[in-house]
Amino acid sequence: MSEAVILSEQTLHGLYRDHRSWLESWLQRRLGNRWDAADLSQDTFLRVLASPQVLEELREPRAYLLTVGKRLLVNFYKRRSLEQAYLEALANLPEALAPSPEQRWLLLETLQALDELLDGLAPQVRRAFLWAQLEGLGYAQIAERLQVSERTVKRYMAQAYEHCLLAEL
Amino acid sequence: MNRTSTPEARQLARTAAAWLALLDSGRASAEDLQRLDHWRAADPRHEQLWQRAEGLRQRFQAVPPALAMASLDRPQTNRRTLLKRGLALTVLVPGGWLLSQQLPLAVWRADLRTAVGERRGVRLVDGSLLQLNTATAVDLDMAEHQLTLVAGEIALSVNRAQPIDVDFGLGRVSTGQAQICLRRDADNCRISVLSGKVRVQPVQGVELALDYGDQLTLYADGSGAMGRFDPHMPDWRDGVLSVNNQPLGLFLGEVARYRPGILRWEPGLESLKVTGTFQLNDTDRILALLAASLPLTVQSRSRYWVTLVPRQASV
Repeated sequence: MSEAVILSEQTLHGLYRDHRSWLESWLQRRLGNRWDAADLSQDTFLRVLASPQVLEELREPRAYLLTVGKRLLVNFYKRRSLEQAYLEALANLPEALAPSPEQRWLLLETLQALDELLDGLAPQVRRAFLWAQLEGLGYAQIAERLQVSERTVKRYMAQAYEHCLLAEL
Repeated sequence: MNRTSTPEARQLARTAAAWLALLDSGRASAEDLQRLDHWRAADPRHEQLWQRAEGLRQRFQAVPPALAMASLDRPQTNRRTLLKRGLALTVLVPGGWLLSQQLPLAVWRADLRTAVGERRGVRLVDGSLLQLNTATAVDLDMAEHQLTLVAGEIALSVNRAQPIDVDFGLGRVSTGQAQICLRRDADNCRISVLSGKVRVQPVQGVELALDYGDQLTLYADGSGAMGRFDPHMPDWRDGVLSVNNQPLGLFLGEVARYRPGILRWEPGLESLKVTGTFQLNDTDRILALLAASLPLTVQSRSRYWVTLVPRQASV
């Protein structure tokens, strides 16, 4: 066991030395700034470190790093777009309804967790589920809004529940 | 989808999900409910999963619906597009609405305020004219002949020898018989002198004298730049935005200040050029004019959520 771990660390070290700046500049081209790129590249190597068994089979290190890096990049964008939508919604809220500054951050974190939970659902399914959970709409109303049958709405809801239950496992 | 879930876990989740969807439909019969109780009691794993499902529903109930809906139901960009073009859209959050702890409060408490898209003029007790542009907040203390620009943009026309001091966060401008425009953005402040002379004392640095035509930009980091102001800049006082060959990105940044809600565009559009004179009180019309004269399409999800995309890329 210890031998395999040592091998992993050596490989990781080499991986880091040989490819870090390449990955960082790849990320920077997409993100347009150095700081987020450095953070994401760091996270990428941490993810790779967390799964050393894959490392041994690594024939194409850059392709593998890119796979992990892309996944993190997409998550980053999603969080960013949620944050923007949230800020915008806050800005349009009447003063009396706006949460306190301390609550705003907590709420953003909660929403980010829910967003990740829903990630991967088809857009129609996601929307139907949100209408039901957040606005308490009945299947008939959702069916009308989406121009589908109530039966389809029920199927959407089952799909969304299944997705969320599995994501939470 | 969780990649590590076993077929058995997936089957359980599917069964629980079917029950939940039936319950939510409001059409579960007494018999259905009995069968559900039976299913929950049949296996501790069933009950455990059911508890988790209850927890899931509570998590959605714990968030304010309007905020959660606006955030979670935003238009989704798919993975491929994200990787290819990033977020691909510039979203403008109106100045002063970042999660800063003091600023919104200071704005709410200000003596004079305008909403997004609103303009208003006020005659001060000494006869000076104060005009507030969109999304602006000002505190007044006329006993001390002093104003504070909390956020936004003002024009001030002082007719008396008695000067008025305006605090704008990054410094203070003192104006006797003069006309000035003052704009406060997130990280900088701009003072333009339309007539007369004024003195500016930045928070950092020495006092400066500004003359007719001068424009001083002060940045939050303490730096500053002196130049001339665009002669069309003060047109906002008449509700007009005039531009000549301006890059669309800059132009939309200005239009967005006057428009409630989200205005987004693809960065590829930013280098298109705009020329014309536009009425600020009808930004819908401005967008329609852009669509008529430039290769772009306006996609409106609602009045408050508008996206500009290249014409060929629209669906």
